Amino acid sequence: MKTVDAMKLSQLSDKFSTYFEKGKPLHFLSSLYDAIDSFFLTPKTVTKGGSHVRDAVDMKRVMITVMIALLPALCFGIWNVGSQHYIALGESASFWKCVGYGLLKWLPMVVVTYVSGLTIEVIFAQRRGHQVAEGFFVTGFLIPMIMPPDVPLWMVAVATAFSVLFAKEVFGGTGYNFLNPALVARAFVFFAYPSVISGDAVWISGAPDAVSGATPLALAASGATGQMPSFMEMFVGTVPGCIGETSKIAILIGALILLLTQGPAGRLC
Amino acid sequence: MEYRIRKGLDLHLAGAPLPMVDALPPSECCYIRPTDYRWLTPKMLVQPGDSVQVGTPLFADKFDERIVFVSPVEGTVCEIVRGEKRVVECIILSVDRNQPTIRKVDFNPPTTPETLRNLLLQYGLWPSMRQRPFSIIARPDDHPKALFIPCFDSAPLAPSYKMLLNEHRDNLLAGLRALRLLVGDKVPIHLCMSHKEDNLFLESLHDVQLQYFTGPHPAGNLGPQIHRISPLDKGDIVWYIQPWNVAQIGRLLSKGELTFNRIFALTGPAIRHPHYYSTTLGMDVSRSFDHNLSEEHVRIISGNVLSGTAVGDYVTPRFYDAQLTLLPEGGEREVLGWLRPNLHKWSFSHTFLAWLVKHHIFNFNTSQHGDQRNFVMTGVYDKVFPYQSILPLELLKACKTHNIELMEDLGIYEVDDEDFALCEVVCPSKMPCQEMIREGLREILNENR
Repeated sequence: MKTVDAMKLSQLSDKFSTYFEKGKPLHFLSSLYDAIDSFFLTPKTVTKGGSHVRDAVDMKRVMITVMIALLPALCFGIWNVGSQHYIALGESASFWKCVGYGLLKWLPMVVVTYVSGLTIEVIFAQRRGHQVAEGFFVTGFLIPMIMPPDVPLWMVAVATAFSVLFAKEVFGGTGYNFLNPALVARAFVFFAYPSVISGDAVWISGAPDAVSGATPLALAASGATGQMPSFMEMFVGTVPGCIGETSKIAILIGALILLLTQGPAGRLC
Repeated sequence: MEYRIRKGLDLHLAGAPLPMVDALPPSECCYIRPTDYRWLTPKMLVQPGDSVQVGTPLFADKFDERIVFVSPVEGTVCEIVRGEKRVVECIILSVDRNQPTIRKVDFNPPTTPETLRNLLLQYGLWPSMRQRPFSIIARPDDHPKALFIPCFDSAPLAPSYKMLLNEHRDNLLAGLRALRLLVGDKVPIHLCMSHKEDNLFLESLHDVQLQYFTGPHPAGNLGPQIHRISPLDKGDIVWYIQPWNVAQIGRLLSKGELTFNRIFALTGPAIRHPHYYSTTLGMDVSRSFDHNLSEEHVRIISGNVLSGTAVGDYVTPRFYDAQLTLLPEGGEREVLGWLRPNLHKWSFSHTFLAWLVKHHIFNFNTSQHGDQRNFVMTGVYDKVFPYQSILPLELLKACKTHNIELMEDLGIYEVDDEDFALCEVVCPSKMPCQEMIREGLREILNENR
């Protein structure tokens, strides 16, 4: 059954791909078409020389493995954003209410990141006559995880565009970059719009002014060690912060996944 | 001496040859490809219609016309096939099947290196002697610092050298004596062996160095072996020769018989009954597949699946190969392949659940499993690259950027493209690593010429 589906899809893809060939009207979208095509169906490329057999792993598989390793931190972070919000408001909220609030914060951010970043990626790939590289899928996943939950969406868009353009594409794209584009996006926000990513007020989403969301480090620096969260709270991650950064346990689970899968993904972290 | 190669990888493919030799009757066509010899520019010495016998020169090296390449059979030159830019792709000989493939020749037994060298050049046996770096035919006037004879092959489905040479032990000994005369007493002759293989009785020899290698493939590759035994600096040259060519030389010198008969292994997942066949160099061997194929669309590879060459229309093992591998053609598409757990796909990484199945024989085919991407620093090359002091990714990048100085600093003289075959296999970016190294080596060779 699966093979039949693959064959039908493959025939459909062969039919459509003719519209995107060189000299055809839709050629200017060929990189985008190719990206969508290879998303649904593995490429039919065969080896041409050198080693005639190849490892089944490709960049898509490497990147999806990294994304799977990010999931524990992401899931915990989504809940934690909601949880911190309701704690700051002094309300008690159910698990799903917290998750719902967190999703409302994360989803728009991830959509904005992917739209702005992928648009640039596709334009560059098309201009260079390349295929769209998979590297941005991880970058686009990481950026919302390292931003404060209330960061304005337009800033996310600008930071993503800046990082993709100036940390990656100007050097030649994925593989040629010498900086991590996700961290460049965060650094960009830090230097361009410091008020949304520093201080005590930004780490809890929708917090009333009276509530301080100071980080444990800030508390320790100001001498208020008594107000610091406990070690377990910090380790589990029930403290204010970015979506993906608070839970050390979840991050360690991700690291474990990368170590277990060995090979390519192990070094990417 | 014992050496252990720690880094590497054994691929488990179906279709290892059974220890059985069948004789293939002579075919009508014999294919001689100048492209079997790396970067050779041939100068043709025959025309279509010319009659040839065993040992008749067909073409010579344009840059050293002493090096001639001879006909392995008696017959007529049928066609000279040229490809792009008029490169000679193949000389097709029509074989006279009534004539033997062994020719008796008379000569004065050589007593000096010069007379022996001239004899080998005259009868077309010199091209079997190659050199590192570059893996090109050895230049007759060079003085190598060592001579290597690989006595086992660790590549996937590789033939057993015992099967290839079982009947030629006396020839092999005579050939070794000749090589000692050729290189002189001061140049060491290293026989690279494995405990897994029969030692071809060679352990009784005194004037050769026996070197034993253990570990996964590429323990049998010459590059890592030379790297351990006699590392190459710029300007150094070592020679190497396959043992069946040593036996061929021995047969000529001890019995006066010139022949290009040899045994090859027919292997691969697409073959029902993989085993050995005896034939003559260049003979069309497609009849060995008759009723023996388990797949319809196959790729015929001379050599192994890691660094062999697809033979195309001329179905015969290449000059330096004793193996044909038949691999099913791939290219089938899979829905959301990057997401599936996939218990049946082989991967060096553990990103597919198939790693939980130990020693499973996978159904390999020619699928690339993805498109080419840029290098990404994954560190996976280091896990399969056998050299201790060479950085594979950096060397590949130096080749890609045509930076000859950097290539030399990173040790390119020690490597050959086949040493990067495993890097190419496991590369998630699907980089053509072997081609990059080959081009790098060629650039350096052109620079030095």
